[in-house]
Amino acid sequence: MDPIVYVSLGAALAAGIAGVASAFGVGVAGAAAAGVVAEDEKNFRSALILEGLPMTQSIYGLITLFLILLSSGIIGGGFKFADATTDNIIKSVILMGAGLTVGLTGLSAIPQGIIASAGIGAVAKNPKTFTQGVIFAAMAETMAIFGLVGALIMIATGVGF
Amino acid sequence: METGVVTGILNSTIALIFTWVAYKTGSYIYKYTPYSYPNARISAMEAKMLNSQKFNELAESRTLQNFVVNLEDTQYRDYLSGLSEYSVEEIERALEKSLAGTYEMLYKMLPKRSRDVFRLLLEEWDVRNIAAVVKAKLRGEPAIDYVSEIGLLLPKVKAMAEAKSMEEILVILEGTPYEEPFRKLILGEITASQFETELYRLYYGRLLDYALSRKGDEKTILLEFLRMKVDRLNIVTALRAKAAGMSAEEIRSLLLSGGSVDLEGVIRVDDVGMALAELDSTRYGKVIREVREELERNFGVLERALDEYILQRMVEVSRFYPLSIAAPIVYVLKKEREIKKLRAIVKLIADGVEPERIKEMIGDLA
Repeated sequence: MDPIVYVSLGAALAAGIAGVASAFGVGVAGAAAAGVVAEDEKNFRSALILEGLPMTQSIYGLITLFLILLSSGIIGGGFKFADATTDNIIKSVILMGAGLTVGLTGLSAIPQGIIASAGIGAVAKNPKTFTQGVIFAAMAETMAIFGLVGALIMIATGVGF
Repeated sequence: METGVVTGILNSTIALIFTWVAYKTGSYIYKYTPYSYPNARISAMEAKMLNSQKFNELAESRTLQNFVVNLEDTQYRDYLSGLSEYSVEEIERALEKSLAGTYEMLYKMLPKRSRDVFRLLLEEWDVRNIAAVVKAKLRGEPAIDYVSEIGLLLPKVKAMAEAKSMEEILVILEGTPYEEPFRKLILGEITASQFETELYRLYYGRLLDYALSRKGDEKTILLEFLRMKVDRLNIVTALRAKAAGMSAEEIRSLLLSGGSVDLEGVIRVDDVGMALAELDSTRYGKVIREVREELERNFGVLERALDEYILQRMVEVSRFYPLSIAAPIVYVLKKEREIKKLRAIVKLIADGVEPERIKEMIGDLA
């Protein structure tokens, strides 16, 4: 494949997989939120906060997409790795790896949505568990943050801006 | 290595990773997401269940009218609003309808792959109703008094209660799974208690078949629940039969298959005391020990203790599997317990029992 394909694939995977995962996560938590609000409208505030947690992975994906496009020159100039030399292929593969890292770790949005969903149910039963519910759901975020940090390191050291 | 080889390896690796990730993600989503809405809603409904303070208020009602008024801010309001009179029978009927409504709501909310269990659980009321009506008919008592307002075959059960002859009942039961045992009963091939056992055997057979046809966590949870229910029925039957002096052979014919406890040792011993000692080493040993003193006088205590054990065990299971069929099962068990307590309060109020005594008695029912 041409280097442009790897780079584009990396950017697309970062934003795409993380975005889809976030959509599923928010969807799962949203269904739970709808369930508790159907029983009692007072659950809306806490349900909304918990439902929003799985959205962050899609933001990481978007940040990575911009960084990949920026470092490869697609944004702000010409594409730097147009020639299919070994060096350019390696650099474009590094960018794809960075995108893949963020995309795959962004899948943590799905379990995060499931945790948030269970948390929404728990808060409906006992409102005092709200903070704990947020903490439990936020734990799943760690993997996505690791992925983002890893991707930043890969882009900065492997390709540069 | 040539560039073509490198890209080939890369492409294959990416394809492999994506296939695996897609499969795992898909199975994860399939397993949990259908329970997200119902289980969260059930949690919210559990928060609305009656607490001990509300039960105390209800115990202090003194009249059935006050009792109904006290339930106006609860989930029972809709069912109690249409009462034609404030009588025990009317209120009990409304509470039974409320329980039937709970089963129906859970059936509608849950994913297709597991919701049929609530229809099947509702059928247990058909079995109870049919057994009660037939036994009342055999005793020559008005059968309609024994009908609970719940079950999938309720119109048929009511028609059975109104029937003038056993042959008429057979016609009503035609096409249901309970037709054959009833035919045997009227032909004199089986006794009334064997008829009841046969009904439960058929019913639990279908429930267990359903559980075995499920997959993964659903199968595990349903089997755990149903085996405990079979155990409860078998233990109580075996002890009651033992207390009545029945032989091991007779008791064996009354037991259902599919439970987790082997009761062969229990039915072979000479008396109830030894039977209880046999049960000591089973998973129910602790529960039985706790109620042993009272148990020898009243088997109802054991039934309540085993019901509570099943509920607590299912609560543990639902904590382990928060997005599963366990939470709806726990809810329905809690709802049944709540309604049982409400019915007890209604009867005690109607009998003119003092509020303090009612509070004590419903505390024992917990």
